[in-house]
This record gives sequence, structure tokens and C-alpha cells, in this order.
Amino acid sequence: MSERIGFYICHCGINIAYRVRVAEVAAYASTFPGVVVARDYLFMCSDPGQELIESDVKKYDLTRVVVASCSPRMHEKTFRSACQRAGLNPYHAFHMVCVREHGSWVTENEDDATEKARIIVRAGLKRVSFQNALIPSQFSVNSNSLIVGGGIAGMQAAIDIASAGFKAYLVEKAPTVGGHMLQYDKAFPTLDCTACIGTPKMVAVGQDKNIELKSYCEVEHVSGFVGNFKVTINNKARYIKTNCTGCGDCAKVCPVDFPNEWDVNTKMRKAVYLSFPQAVPVRYVIDKRTTAPCRTSCPAGTNVQGYVQMVKIGNYQQALNIIMERLPLPGVLGRVCPHPCETDCRRALVDSAVSIRDLKRFAADHARLEDVPLPEVEEIDKKIAVIGSGPVGLTVAYYLRRKGFKVCIFESMEKPGGMLRTGIPDYRLPPAILDQEIGHILSTGVTIKTGMALGRDFTLASLKDQGFDAIFLGIGAHVPVKMNIENEDADGVVDAVPFLRKENLEKAGSAKKRVVIIGGGNVAMDAARVAVRSGAQSVSVVYRRTEQEMPADHEEIEGAKEEGINFITLVGPKKVVTENGRVIGIECIKNKLGPVDAGGRRRPVPIEGSEYVIACDMIIPAIGQSVETEPVLKDTHFDLTARGTFKVDPFTMQTSEPGVFAAGDAVTGPATVVEAIAGGHKVVKAIERYLNHEMDLFDKERKQQEENTKPDEKNFVPIPEDAALVARAKSVFIEPVTRKSSFEEVDMGLSEASAQSDAGKCLNCGGCCECKLCVDACKAKAIDHDIKDEREIIDVGSIIIATGFDLLDPTPMTQYGYGKYANVFTNLEFERLSNATGPTLGKLLKRDLKDRMKFTEPPKSVAILHCIGSRDINYHEYCSRTCCMYALKYAHLLKDKCGHGTMVYNFYIDMRCFGKGYEEFYKKVQSEGVRMIRGKVGSITEATNGMLTVVAEDTLSCRMLEIEVDMAILCTAMEPRSNAQDVMRKFGIGIGADGFFQEEHPKLAPVSTPSSGVFLAGACQGPKDIPDTVAQAKGAAAECMALSAKGIVEVPPMISYIDPDVCVGCQVCIVLCPYSAIEFDYFNAISVVNSAVCKGCGSCAGHCPSGAAKVRHFTDQQIFAEIDGLLLN
Amino acid sequence: MSEFEPKIVGFFCNWCTFTAADLAGTSRLSYPHNIKIIRMMCSGMVDPKYVIKAFLNGADGVLIGGCWPGDCHYINGNLKARRRVAMLTEILKEYGIDEKRFWLRWIAASEGTMLREVVSEMTAKLKALGPSPLNREAPGKEKK
Repeated sequence: MSERIGFYICHCGINIAYRVRVAEVAAYASTFPGVVVARDYLFMCSDPGQELIESDVKKYDLTRVVVASCSPRMHEKTFRSACQRAGLNPYHAFHMVCVREHGSWVTENEDDATEKARIIVRAGLKRVSFQNALIPSQFSVNSNSLIVGGGIAGMQAAIDIASAGFKAYLVEKAPTVGGHMLQYDKAFPTLDCTACIGTPKMVAVGQDKNIELKSYCEVEHVSGFVGNFKVTINNKARYIKTNCTGCGDCAKVCPVDFPNEWDVNTKMRKAVYLSFPQAVPVRYVIDKRTTAPCRTSCPAGTNVQGYVQMVKIGNYQQALNIIMERLPLPGVLGRVCPHPCETDCRRALVDSAVSIRDLKRFAADHARLEDVPLPEVEEIDKKIAVIGSGPVGLTVAYYLRRKGFKVCIFESMEKPGGMLRTGIPDYRLPPAILDQEIGHILSTGVTIKTGMALGRDFTLASLKDQGFDAIFLGIGAHVPVKMNIENEDADGVVDAVPFLRKENLEKAGSAKKRVVIIGGGNVAMDAARVAVRSGAQSVSVVYRRTEQEMPADHEEIEGAKEEGINFITLVGPKKVVTENGRVIGIECIKNKLGPVDAGGRRRPVPIEGSEYVIACDMIIPAIGQSVETEPVLKDTHFDLTARGTFKVDPFTMQTSEPGVFAAGDAVTGPATVVEAIAGGHKVVKAIERYLNHEMDLFDKERKQQEENTKPDEKNFVPIPEDAALVARAKSVFIEPVTRKSSFEEVDMGLSEASAQSDAGKCLNCGGCCECKLCVDACKAKAIDHDIKDEREIIDVGSIIIATGFDLLDPTPMTQYGYGKYANVFTNLEFERLSNATGPTLGKLLKRDLKDRMKFTEPPKSVAILHCIGSRDINYHEYCSRTCCMYALKYAHLLKDKCGHGTMVYNFYIDMRCFGKGYEEFYKKVQSEGVRMIRGKVGSITEATNGMLTVVAEDTLSCRMLEIEVDMAILCTAMEPRSNAQDVMRKFGIGIGADGFFQEEHPKLAPVSTPSSGVFLAGACQGPKDIPDTVAQAKGAAAECMALSAKGIVEVPPMISYIDPDVCVGCQVCIVLCPYSAIEFDYFNAISVVNSAVCKGCGSCAGHCPSGAAKVRHFTDQQIFAEIDGLLLN
Repeated sequence: MSEFEPKIVGFFCNWCTFTAADLAGTSRLSYPHNIKIIRMMCSGMVDPKYVIKAFLNGADGVLIGGCWPGDCHYINGNLKARRRVAMLTEILKEYGIDEKRFWLRWIAASEGTMLREVVSEMTAKLKALGPSPLNREAPGKEKK
């Protein structure tokens, strides 16, 4: 059938016609094959223009229509409707060519513009004949709306939608609704109290049954399309349940202080807080961040931040209670722990790490173990045998007992404690402390049998016979490792482990005159320092690397040096020199450091021919210990590791023998006390699950861990910029001269004052310290620290984005000294000062020069600086539109609150008082005696007395001014939200050149976005004041209500389809489709598009190797025709 | 003889570069007339054969305009375009089409000025490069 085409070119007044010779283009079109009528017309989009098309269709029996005018994004819909009215299928019949935006407006020369128009018209005329009839699909509209942002825009939109009888979900990421408006004091120009006009809106959104308020929530994901969106919302854990009464008892006991964001950090709040008294919902929230690094670096997972805070406030018993949650031996660890927590302490970024270990000891020394509460549990009739009473055995016994199990410890020595008793010298760990803490563990109902050695007095089999349901092996590593050198067994060579055991238990004084210790670990240091105390006259430590590589703790090395111990480094033992079978020296060889080995330390390389002899009477090797496995292996077979330790599953800690668990040195080889305790906790969990037949839970955790490989983003509390430098608290030590001859404890611990001041250094990295004092304080029992974030999916038909704005941070503008000079404020800080719920309860006061949180007396003179970051090519070119007016308001408030004599200077560029009543307000404030100076301030400087000198040019009188003031206020620019990019991507909207969200059309569609069904309201679209915000919010609400009321939406039919006759079933498109809209039809072996899900992106069509996948209205024939038209005559 | 005017075909994504072209128009930013725009819904829908067809028909340059990575209206169509362009560039080179003739640029809806810069730069470069070997109409073209 031959096509009959009508062609129309628009003059657009003169917008097109001034560059494009429209008649010439129409004349050209008339010569094109198939064109039966070609016209030019003044305004094609006008009613007569559209009627022209309609009548021509009938008159000339047109089958196709091409209009050359503005962008199809402008009037494609208009002309499609005209064609439809004329009885044509618009997708079949109509094509639009853009000769204005892409032609007349961007081409300077008339000939060029006309030629360009001719060519693109030719392409359009060629294309149109290949178009097919399409019918848009219709979908129902979900009548719920989602509003993102609970400021005045969001609240107003929600109220309007709810009042129309539709449901609104109002999502706010802060704990309260209100937004910026509720942070302000008065609203210009009428000076109404913002709280008075704002809180009723807050209450309304909190109470309206059609509004579901979701505070402290964030939108995570949006899918679907207009009328049918699916939105994933994350309900952030508030840790306070809905039965919170808002009484504030929790905040009274909370030990953690942070600057309050709501008051822009002019005031402190607790970790559990309400943003401000009128917050909606009236429900507290606990500020929890990423778990503090001290806590995560503790192998046993002790709540370090918690007990440090308790020491800070002097609640030592609660500190001990918190420690005892994870550490059964607080006094022991307070003395001997190598404190990995302090290595990770972020306070070190300010001055030095908090003395965490010393604080733990302080708490243990100042609180009573008997008062540590035990959980109320029922006795469980299951018996567990714990073999070994070292730290791991005691941990397993204590925490299983706390759960109600019956526990019996078997210990081979006469007294319990394992290495704590035999290995750690008394001057570091007094036996009285150990006895006291073990005594407490036993007092909880743990039974112990001492002098019972495995393999000698009992076997694993005999334990099972006695009815033990599970067995724990915590036998430690007590067998010395040999040096493997000549004469190692000579008289006078005593290994560190037996040496220390003998000295610790018997005080035998067995050291000879000249002692050489081999090794550089903590055991070597202990042996050396014990040797000094046991009669040695000279003690040398021989180590094969340098002091830097020594594994011993720094404190121990220093302590040893103070006690006169000689360090011989880069030397290795080669042979024991003997005379009559007795040691007279040790032959050593010097080393140099070679390349780094697998352990990350540089390998010692012997230097040939450098051998020499160190004369000595006694050699104490301290190069490691291994596990004594023979007595265990006698009756049961166990899998061992290459190092001769017990092989266990790293999750369940179960050995190769079911029901037998192991941990501590027996598994890891020699390690620290806290690592042993960490292993103990894993065993406790495992034995409990084993006895409850829940071992499959470990498989789930294993799987989760495998899947969860990406590290979480760290969200610690930021380090305060004004943190004062505080020296690290130091314990009192006994003088080296005195301590060398005694086994008395060397470290006397911290004084109360230094403990509290050191605890005060803690930055509370994790936010809430989880001391749980609030849990006890809450009478409503509303606090639950175990609440987790919860995700939910809601269905909505329309969305309003009302995410507001951020204020520019003026810190980088160093010329104004913000952050450096005490009395330079931002506008929002000033608003909070003026607000009755702010830091000064509404008084306008100067800041104390030394303490930023303190405010002193009213200012006598104030400079208000307009356009800080607005109308400034270095920051934002746009005008923030509100600053002139609120600056006038500030001037009025200062005169009003601080007295008429207060000098107020407004430094402006231009006064923009454009709204209703605004100019009148300007006149009124001027009449109050406020000085208006046209000129931007160049700099502010501060004198030692805190007075500020403001330098500016008065551009009206052309004079330089230097004015002294008490206070300066920076009227900072309104900026797009810092997360605007994220929001843009989530909702598929656009961002304009200024960074704010872009409306679909600046004049005619100011609340719509390119994403159908997503609307904008308020300052997220551009700076605006409250009246404009409310008006736009009402407009956006009306758009949502229009969709909901109509109930039906048409979706453009330009979606993909796959030609079943051509598809070969390769399924490449299925992988490419971003919406999973393509399925495979196994019966016919072809891919099929699900048209309800497809959005028509053409990912499939662009790739399909057989050409079966196509996008309707963008088919190959149509595009080829367009290309031909552009390039071929 | 008149100066060589390269013929450039632009395949522009409806959501970003096409809108940027509209914005350039409303902002009256003039740029060379050499570019002629074909509206696509996404840069990821530009089939390689469209580009080949344009060159076969004698285009001196082809410009694909898409959204910035991460900003695609259809999640990731622009990234698919990027992969396709990388491959197609190599193929075109084999057939004597210089890679300087085939551009992919990310131009957001708000970047009208950038559109002008890209088009001006491309036009200038193509003028320097001379007509495409497949452009049979170019003035002064030497047959090899």
C-alpha cells in the first residue's frame, strides 16, 4: 500500500523561522516520495495547528504525519493526541523532528540551519513509513504514596495525601520528623515561632491514621514503575521499643556524651537521646556505631568501652560486672594481658591510647567479685569434665556453670591455675589475686579435683564411664622445646618452664651466678627477671634477631632492662661448653638479618667464623613449649597438627573424637592468657550446642562467614577536632633496686584520679558503650540492646522526594575563621542559640573563648555576613534565596533580645526581598536602626580578647571599613544533600548543574521528574523558603492524588519483543536484561519477553546475534531508515 | 572548493545526552551543525550494525552519548554500550575506519555545555582528519 504522508514545519513564532527558512524546507518535503501535503505554520502546537493536522488527515486520507518543530520531549504527546483524534494509531502514524533545540537555537548561520533541518526532516520522512501500530498497556495504580524526608515539605505532602483519604508512608532518616524548619527559631517575615506552627504538623503526621510515620528509616531500594513501585525500607535499629514513654530516665544514667546533631553541636547529648523535647515520635534512640576497635581487637570480645566508661563515672562494680561477662579472671588479665586493645585504640590518633589494661586492673582492685551478679538459670542435669585448670579450663568451667551445667575440673598439680601459677612470676601476678579469682569461680558451684593427672589417675574412657556428657581438654603446653645443640643435657641447662615452676611454687633460689637466657619471648623475660630475684649476679638474654623483632611485650623488655639484665642480640646458640659435665659457657654465632620469612619477620642469617663463647654457669632456654599428648593418646586416638597440638574444627573446637573439645595452648601452641580465654568461649558455645543437639547451627555460621567476605564500612564516632592532649596515665612502679630482691608485685596500679582521667580520654568510638545501665533504669522495660535493623518492602503507586538541603560548611573559607574563632557562628548555630530548646534556652550569648560548649554574655555588636558560598563562583553560583530575609530576622532578634543599643551590621551584596511582606519587613528592620552595608566581607580576624575585626569595602561610599564586633554570623549557602547522587540513582531521577534534583520542566512541570510517578518537593529541587516549600509540597501531593484517584496508568508501548521465528534460543539476552524480564520457553526453545516487567532499554536488542530481539518503535528498519535519511540523498 | 564539512551521526540516549542537546538549545549554545541526532532510549540499545550502517552510508564520524556510569536510567545499559564500543572500535579499525571517528561520551542531562564542547571538538578533529574512506561525496576526496 502506498503511504500518504503529511508534513508540517512550525515557525514557533520566530524561534525556528528566524534561522530556518521553513517554507524552503516544506517545499523540499513536498518533493519527497509519498508526501501529499507539506505545510509551514506559525504555531503547530496551538489548537488551529493541531486542527490543521486533523483536517488534513481526513481531507488527504493521510496515513503518516511528520511534524518538524521543538523537541519531542516537549510536544510529542500533543501531536500524538492530534493523530489519535484524527483516527490514526499515533505510534504508527506520527514522527517528530526537532528543528528548534537541535536546529535553529544551536546553529548560527541561516544556510547551515536550513540545510540541517532539511536533512533531519528527510530522515524523519524516511523513518515514519516503517513505524508500526502500537497500543499502550494500562496498569492499575496502587493508591499508597511514599514520601521521602520528614521536613516541612514531606510533612505537608503527607498530611494533604492523608486528608484526601489515601495512605502515605513518611520515611525520615533522622529519629524525629521536623527537618530544618523545626531547628529554626522564628520564621520571616511574620516572625511566627516555627515550633508553634511546625509542631502541630509533626503531631499530625504522628497521629493521622492514614500516615504511617517511619522515622529512623531509610529507603534502600526502589523497583517497579509508576503506579506499582516496590520500595525496600531499612528500619534502623533504635534499640528502644514502641512502649518508650519518653521519660528520659535512660539518658540520666548514660555515661556517654556526644555533641547533639540537632543543635549543630552547640550542646551535648547522651548516647541514648531524644533530638529535642518536642521530637515526634517521642521515643528515644540509642546511637550505636561500628563496634569499638578495642572491643573487636580483644580476642575474648570484652566490652572494653563499657568498663572504661564505668571507671570514668566511678561505677567500679558495674565495670567489673562488664569485664566478668567475658573475662573470668579480671585481676589476672589486668596485670598480664598484652592488651591488643590498646594497639587499636583510636585515641592514639589524638595523643596516646587509653591505658585500658591498667583500668581493668583498677576496676578489679576496686570492686567485689562476690557482688558480680550471676544469671538466674535453672540447673541442667549435664556433667562436663574440664581437664586442666589453666585460663582456658577456668573459662570453660565458669561460663558453662553460669549457664547451669555441672562442671568438674581435673588438675594434675596440687593447686589450680596452670601456667598462671607455674609460669607467670609472682612479681607480675601475686598468687593471692589468682587464688581469689579462682576461689570466686569455684564458689559458683564448680567442683575441682586437684592432683589428678590424665593418664595416671584417670583416662578419657573412665570419665565417660563416670557419666560425663562432654569432655574438655585444656592441658596447655608445658613440655620445653629442645634447642637441638651439643651438650644440651649438661648439668646447668634448665629449661624456662621447669625453672619458673620451681621458683614460683617453691622459691627455691636455684639460679646460679651467671645466667644466660636463650630466647626473646615473654617466657624468656620472666625467666630472666626471676633469675635476678633468685640469686643470679649477672643475667644475659641471648636473642637471634634484634630487639625490634622480640615477641616479648615492650613493658617486659623495659622492666628487664631496668633490673640490670643484659641483652645480647643478633646472636644464636651453637653449642653448650662444658667441663666435667657442667656448663661453663655457651658458644654463640653472630647473625645478620636476611630476607623476610613467612611470619613477616626478617630471618637471622649466621655469619661464618663469628663464633665466640659467653662464659656462664647456667643456661635457661626459653624458645617455646609443646603439648604433652602421650597420656591422652594412650587410650584414645586424636588427630594432631604438624606442630603436635590437638587438631580441632575452628568453629566447633571439637577434636577428632566426638564430644571431646579442646582449646588453649593445647590447640594453639604457647599463646597469651586472653587468647586462651577466647578459645574457651568458643568451647562454651560449642559444648552447649553439642549437649542441646544444635551443632548444625555451626554449619549455618560457616556458610554465612564464607558469603560475608566484604568488610563492613567503619562508622566510628568521629574524633573531636578540639580534643585536648592528655598524657597517658602511668602506674606506680617499685624502684628497680628494691624490686630486684623481692617477688613483691612491681606494678602498684593507677590512682583513682589518674584512672578516671584516663578513662575520660576514651572517644567512645562505638557510640553507645553497652554498659546497660539504661536497661535497669527504664521502668517501662522498653530498652533492648539486641534489636537489629529490619528490612521491609512496601507497595506504593507514587513517590515524593522531599529530602531537603545541607548547609555549606564554611570551614574551608579560612578568611572568616569559622571553627577557629569562638564567636564566628553559622546561621544554623545562631538559630539554635535563639531557639528556646537550644543550648542557651533562647538567649543570644557569646561563646566562651576556651570552651565551645559554654556561652557567656550577650554581644554588644554583631556582624551578619550575607552570601557565604552563594553567588560565589568558587562555591555556588546560585542565590540561596533565603539568606537576605533571615539575616534581617537575625538583626531584629538581636535588637529585640540583646537590647536596642546592640550594634548590628548587615554586609550584603544585593538585598533580595521578593516575597509577600518581605520588602515591608526589610523596611521595618531598617527602621530599628540596623546598619546595612553594601559590600562583601573580605576577612575576619580575632584579637586576644576575642573581639573580631571585620574588613569590608562599602561599595556605596567606596570606603574600606574595619569594624570591631563581638560576634559574626555567616549566612551560609543552601547546598544539595551530600547523598543526592545516591538518592538520584535509587529513584532514577536527574540532577541539575547546581547539584539539586532536576524537575522535568523548569516552568511547566516543576514537581515532576523524568521518572514517571516520582515527584519533587521542597529544597531538594533548589533553594527555597518555607512558603514556597509548602506550596511545592502541596503540588507534589496533588500529583500523587491525581494518580491515585484515576487508578489507572498508561505505560508507553516501546518495549522489547523477541521474534519467535528468528530466535535461536541462545539466551544471551536473558543474562543481559537488567530487569530479569526475559524468560526461556523450554518447550519452544526460545526466549520470551515478559511485557509487564520490560522497560524497553534495548539491552537485548542491541546484542541479539540473530536479530530476533527488537524494541518496538526502535526497530532496525526504522533506525536504518533514519540513518539513510541523514546520509543519503 | 568549499571546506570539508564532516558528517556526524549522533546516537543519543533519551535520558541524558538527548536532553543535554535540548538544554544546549534552550540555553542557545551554538555548536557546529555537522551533527545530526538520532534519538535512542539508551546507549545500550545502539546495535553495532547501526554504527556500521552509518559509516557505510558515508558518515565521517559517529558519536554515542550515554549517561555517566552509575547513572543509567536502565541500571547498566551504558556499561553494555561501553563494552560494545570497545569491541566495535577494534573491528572498525580492521576495515580502515580510524578509531578517532568513533566516539563514546558520557554527557548528563544537565551538561549542555559539555555537549557543545564534545561536538565542537569532534567536528574540529574530523575536519583535520579529512573525509572517511567510505565517504563518496566529500569534496576533493582522492580515490586511492
